[in-house]
Amino acid sequence: MDGSKSMPAQIDMHHSPQVQSYLDLHSRIRGELPGRDIDWHSDWRRGCLQRFADQGFPTARDEDWRYTPLRPVLAKQFVPSQKPHVETRWTAEQIDGVDHSLIFVDGVFQGSAVATGAPPGIRIESISDLLGRDPDYLRPYLGKSSEDVAHAFSLINNALYSDGILIEIGSDVQSDVLLELFFVSKTDAALILPRIVVISRSGSSARIIERHVGQSGIHSLTSSVGEIYLEKGAYLNYHLIESAADTAYQVLGNWVYLHADSQLDFHTTTVGGALVRNDLVIDLREPGAECNLLGAYCLSGRQHVDNFTTVIHSAPHCNSNEHYKGVLDQRSRAVFHGRVRVAPDAQQSDARQASNTLLLSADAEIDAKPQLEIYADDVKCSHGATVGNLDEQAMFYMKARGIDGGTARSMLIRAFIDEILDAAEDDQVQQHVKTLVDGKMSGLQKSLKSGVQS
Amino acid sequence: MLIINKLCASVEDKPILNELSLEVNAGEVHAVMGPNGSGKSTLANVLAGRAQYEVTAGTVTFKGQDLLELDPEIRAREGLFLAFQYPVEIPGVSNVHMLKAALNAMRTHQGEKELDAVSFLKLIKEKARLVGMKQEFLYRAVNEGFSGGEKKRNEVLQMSLFEPMLSVLDETDSGLDIDALKIVAQGINRLRSPERAMLVVTHYQRLLGYIEPDFVHVLAHGKIIRSGGKELAVELEEHGYGWVEEHACTD
Repeated sequence: MDGSKSMPAQIDMHHSPQVQSYLDLHSRIRGELPGRDIDWHSDWRRGCLQRFADQGFPTARDEDWRYTPLRPVLAKQFVPSQKPHVETRWTAEQIDGVDHSLIFVDGVFQGSAVATGAPPGIRIESISDLLGRDPDYLRPYLGKSSEDVAHAFSLINNALYSDGILIEIGSDVQSDVLLELFFVSKTDAALILPRIVVISRSGSSARIIERHVGQSGIHSLTSSVGEIYLEKGAYLNYHLIESAADTAYQVLGNWVYLHADSQLDFHTTTVGGALVRNDLVIDLREPGAECNLLGAYCLSGRQHVDNFTTVIHSAPHCNSNEHYKGVLDQRSRAVFHGRVRVAPDAQQSDARQASNTLLLSADAEIDAKPQLEIYADDVKCSHGATVGNLDEQAMFYMKARGIDGGTARSMLIRAFIDEILDAAEDDQVQQHVKTLVDGKMSGLQKSLKSGVQS
Repeated sequence: MLIINKLCASVEDKPILNELSLEVNAGEVHAVMGPNGSGKSTLANVLAGRAQYEVTAGTVTFKGQDLLELDPEIRAREGLFLAFQYPVEIPGVSNVHMLKAALNAMRTHQGEKELDAVSFLKLIKEKARLVGMKQEFLYRAVNEGFSGGEKKRNEVLQMSLFEPMLSVLDETDSGLDIDALKIVAQGINRLRSPERAMLVVTHYQRLLGYIEPDFVHVLAHGKIIRSGGKELAVELEEHGYGWVEEHACTD
């Protein structure tokens, strides 16, 4: 193509109907998409659309998607929601202690709740507004992720996202505000394309929650892209909380770039969703950067959750520490993929990774796949994966003390998963995720009592 | 209180108990002694309801109910307590958390009000003091990293807390030094009362120097081959189990 501005005709070759439907969607809405008059932005969009058209959706032959079949997602047609909803009240689901909540319904920004005006030292702005006002401001940040891992879903977001949010924490701002990005899906077949850019300026410190919920029975598809930049010495605590409906499909991607001496604590808690893929890509770009990735998931029914993590040690003297724990009941299935890449000159890297899974049913399954690619010689890398069942000895011991089986089971599950949940920094966030896990387990117990599961 | 009648039980299809019969009344302390493999621990575990132990024949009645019909947690709530030979470590579950859940499950079952956190803490600290347990052990995970003696002390703490009608102690004395043995014995003696009964399963006579049993039974090959008063334990110590077995055969 050699830089020639390829016209849609160029990609109007023979595509699968699934791919074609997204290309058609693009043709329909491209005249309304933000950034269409900005060269760098429209070139990038076009490139992504082209890549999507070329590569299509991943199949079981694609090693990175081998354990996550996409059939149910591809069988359905999803369309973006355009109009803001009148109703913006989701107060019943609020987390105590959240100071500022940005609410998106079916992917459309509804405005802020809880507080008005941006928290001190933090800039919050709509991406489409910003592109209109200052077309080049986001150029170093927006779309960087597509240079790394890019699959059909993130490419669709790149090509089709209609708005998003920039959160910028000013230099040396120590914010104790608990800021929330709250995504609600409430329309069947909604295509939800959240776009987030977070810039933590040098020496700043902040806390962000990204939370997904949805109306039960709704089959929506969320494909998000978050691009997060931590400048020198910045600290960010980010908690992704997934309690979507058990019918929702979610492919959530977060790409984080860490510069010198910055630190990221990234938590992922998953209890909801029919099919969830969490792509987390961490690039430790400069010496002294550190990331702690902590994941907890509690699944039942036929839920499928794929935590696909990539940690890239690009620079020497960086630490990464990754620990995921899951509880799988009934016919649920989970994938843990831990890719760690240590670049040739990233000496003195320290990379740790662990995955522990508790299987409550003979029909549940975990595929844990560590993947270490180490090109430096002076590094410490460790990984370990364990899979176990509930300790029958402990169960009997507690029953022999008068504790009923269901309670004993809950206590053992909590004992297992709390190691991760307890690491949530904020007490109220911790309480919220524990309540989610408890709710999930009491649901399990109901199914236990009705004899659905042995 | 407890009537065991011709009880047969097996583990993994291997018969262990062979028509064992025993009656324990309120106020009595019975010691069950015997060599390794005689079925002592099997008896204790069958009474507590451990699933791996299969009852193949016979009956057990506890306070007039068919004990074998009851789930393990119901047996516990009805007042049957097993002090484990090998107390289980439960990482991540704190001792106080489990004990509170246990005590309140029992209280609810017995029609009493649950204890709130404050009253419970007061009670458990008092009990810990009685059995000489340091308070820090209350807040640690159940038995995790406890020494052998501390684990047994934790069993006695639980027994003091639940005040069971029938305590079955499965080799609670094994692996204890003399000081720990005394504390365990004191814990047991404190619970002795006309309403309660105890079944003390032990390999050695040692513990019986501190707890005077009303009856001593010798178990061999899954049945009681000889019963007597506390003096039988002394005889056993002198002559060994072989002597009793021979003696029983020639009777």
